[in-house]
Amino acid sequence: MELMRLVITGTPGAGKTTFVQTVSDIGIVNTDRTATDATASLKPKTTVAFDFGRVSLGASMELHVYGTPGQARFNFMWDILIRRADAYMLLVAAHRPSDVSKANQILAFMNERVHIPVVIGITHLDCFGARSPEEIMNGLGYFDARNRPPMVMVDANSTNSVNRALNVLLLVLLMSRNKKHPETLIPNTSFSPTLSKPKVELTLT
Amino acid sequence: MAISTEKLGYVLQNFVSTTSDVQGAAVVTPDGLPLAVNIPNTMDEERVSAMSAAMLSLGERIGMELARGAIDRISVEGDAGFSILTSCGNDAVFLVLASKNAKQGILMLEIKRTVSDLRYILG
Repeated sequence: MELMRLVITGTPGAGKTTFVQTVSDIGIVNTDRTATDATASLKPKTTVAFDFGRVSLGASMELHVYGTPGQARFNFMWDILIRRADAYMLLVAAHRPSDVSKANQILAFMNERVHIPVVIGITHLDCFGARSPEEIMNGLGYFDARNRPPMVMVDANSTNSVNRALNVLLLVLLMSRNKKHPETLIPNTSFSPTLSKPKVELTLT
Repeated sequence: MAISTEKLGYVLQNFVSTTSDVQGAAVVTPDGLPLAVNIPNTMDEERVSAMSAAMLSLGERIGMELARGAIDRISVEGDAGFSILTSCGNDAVFLVLASKNAKQGILMLEIKRTVSDLRYILG
């Protein structure tokens, strides 16, 4: 049985806990506490340690999915979780302009520590004032569409959408493993043009 | 009634300075923000608060999933000292940093006493 550890990180209120909840086969282990900081205006509760969910893929592979806290004061948890991760997804909420700079901080933090495959997940695209995924990728400093981590649009509440996002992350991870020298530094040059534009679309119902 | 940060600060100051071998203490919210902090200035207030909250929530989760019931206290024992977390009502967590020489009995008793003072102030 192969075990893979995936980390879902991102800005506060981007949908990390919901993502892990939606994707997990088991009831998730979460550590939500009543929010009293700026996050309180976004949602009543916030993760303070991590969320843990599990996904079984047949008999041969199991995924452990960890959701991190979003606030930078919990960056010691980011550190603990990312060091043992095989790949991670960064969730960014499209409708909050301040998210992009926070997401940049997270990316910088992760890049200092690990060089593992990453996928950018864009959430809240159905909210008022949401910016286009292209704008957000540009905000994250990825200007060249052929030379950047794959991007997926995610609706964290939809099982279909979350599973597709997870598939992209797994695909990227498996591709990087099949290379002799996994070129997983960001910006990423190792993906074929077809892969850097995954055909994953958000279905809004 | 509003929480008196002055009183909180006073209780902490009193606890840290009168209990022997206590090096620092903090009262933080369960989501990891400082309410009142009295810690060595080599440590970062925000980080200490966030760590306390993460530790307590994990401990409580362990208590629940592994059927250990409600958690009274979590202690981390290192070769340089103790770090003890005590739940302080629904709205606060009490963190104590003590040196290795601290007498456990006295420490626990003082923590208990201080927690009841803090609970009163927090209402």
